[in-house]
Amino acid sequence: MHTEEIIRTEHLSYLYDGDKAALNDINVSIRKGEKIAVIGSNGAGKSTFFLNLNGVLTSTEGRIFFHGKPIGRKNKDLNELRKKVGIVFQDADNQIIASTVMAEVSFGPMNMGLSREEVSRRVDEALEYMNISEFKSRPAHYLSGGEKKRVSIADIIAMKPEVIIFDEPTASLDPVNSDMFEEVLGRLESEDTTLLVSTHDVNFAYRWAERVLVFSNGRIIADGSPAQIFRQEEILKQANLKKPILLEVCQVLQKKGLLTGDTAFPADISGFEALIQNLS
Amino acid sequence: MNTMNISPCSHRHTDSHMHSHKAPHDRSHRHKPGHSHRHKPGHSHDSLSIDQLAFQSGLSHVNPGFKVAFSVLALIFLLAADNLAISLLVFASMCYLTVIKGGVSGHSYISLLAIPLLFAVVTVLTIALDFSLSPAGEYHLHLFFFYVYTSRAALWKAFCLFCKVFSAVSCMYFMSLSTPVNEIICVLQQCRLPSLITELMNMIYRFIFILLEVQQKMSISARSRLGYVDARTSLRTFGSIGSNLFIVSMKRANHYYDALLARCYDGQLNFLSEEKPLSRKTVLYAVLYFAALIILLTVLKIYYH
Repeated sequence: MHTEEIIRTEHLSYLYDGDKAALNDINVSIRKGEKIAVIGSNGAGKSTFFLNLNGVLTSTEGRIFFHGKPIGRKNKDLNELRKKVGIVFQDADNQIIASTVMAEVSFGPMNMGLSREEVSRRVDEALEYMNISEFKSRPAHYLSGGEKKRVSIADIIAMKPEVIIFDEPTASLDPVNSDMFEEVLGRLESEDTTLLVSTHDVNFAYRWAERVLVFSNGRIIADGSPAQIFRQEEILKQANLKKPILLEVCQVLQKKGLLTGDTAFPADISGFEALIQNLS
Repeated sequence: MNTMNISPCSHRHTDSHMHSHKAPHDRSHRHKPGHSHRHKPGHSHDSLSIDQLAFQSGLSHVNPGFKVAFSVLALIFLLAADNLAISLLVFASMCYLTVIKGGVSGHSYISLLAIPLLFAVVTVLTIALDFSLSPAGEYHLHLFFFYVYTSRAALWKAFCLFCKVFSAVSCMYFMSLSTPVNEIICVLQQCRLPSLITELMNMIYRFIFILLEVQQKMSISARSRLGYVDARTSLRTFGSIGSNLFIVSMKRANHYYDALLARCYDGQLNFLSEEKPLSRKTVLYAVLYFAALIILLTVLKIYYH
């Protein structure tokens, strides 16, 4: 389905403080339009991986290729990567730097050296996209948590990157804002943006992702479709993960003989409903 | 009141109430409601209400450069004129602009004006009053072995100075209550202030709120663990929060730097600022205002000489 490769890492390793391995021999190829969930326990190396993909950190060993072109250590190369790969950080308060929403969202586009008119247009578009146009001239410090999150996403959307990385986006969001976030993901996906989302929510990963990367101790221990990954008990155990509830339900149904062995399990609740409809 | 209610909770409550004059820990218990009320987490920005007022100002659509120039010019004019009538007029017009046009409530404006009151009174008193060992001046007060004395001229001078001080304060308040800090920084940037200074101002402004929020959270969590039961503990808690804030700031600075780099930061903080066009009418009003002040000053000078 997705054929055009955007990012490839070869033997990517990263050492913290010169000796602590945060990433160890990461080989992964990310193709255009993929929806990837990155899972793994805290400290498994997900955030370090993201910062490497975006060029904020440079690998101790190994290389990153962007559209087949190797990325060097020069600022020019790294800035190219930073322009095309955006990160929405976990804590919006660690990302928001300007005092008004408009100034904040303009920061990335301004750094890309765009004209004032273009920046202003992109800011308006991004605010519209996140449905926060009315906050435009409001100060960032009087916004609520959910509103700040939207601003931090608009920050990246205004840069129009090819790949957007979300670092634990739903960690501090209430259900309404989580739904809003999934809706935004849906829209980005329809625009063929490549998405990487790190999460502890296995149900979300199971439902949303086409591909799952499992991190454990700085290595990728599994890479495949959610249906494959979540059935491998030893991988889940090694990465300290739980099984998605829908998968468990389906496995119970299968064990009780209600589902035949070769039925494909549904990924979300509407698929499950259709399955049950067929049974009765 | 409700004697029929015998749930364990209410029972304990009445129990503690009955013995409240004996048990020492009960005093702190009774203290608590009043205390927690003052430190509501939701009202975290009480101390920085100027910032909020500036954002809500009815004059926020006016060009910030114009507002800054207007208040600074008025300030310079009234200081140079050194005239009571001018001071009073400028004070009245600034009050009008801030309260009526800007929509700052009279109550908050007066309480803001009360802040420099003490300084002004102290300054004015030192000018009006003098000390001597023998009776002097038109009015004097005999204290122990010396006299505190003053004269009509000194009192008049002090009064004029007092008015001048408050007039100047009202100018600065007009600026800070109608123009948010980020816009003032933008104006400074347009005045070619070195970007190092304006960027620092921008960062400090943003971080004040973050630090305040973190400090607030820490102090609430300390309070919930009896961190402020007595003076000794309070002092220790205060110290730990201070040092912890420092560590947290260092960590966050690293996170911030990463987040800046991720958006192509290249050593210069560039933000888009909102363009607020300057209407001709506003400029005309300002010109008329200063013309009126100059005419008034000239007339007064001629009349009194």
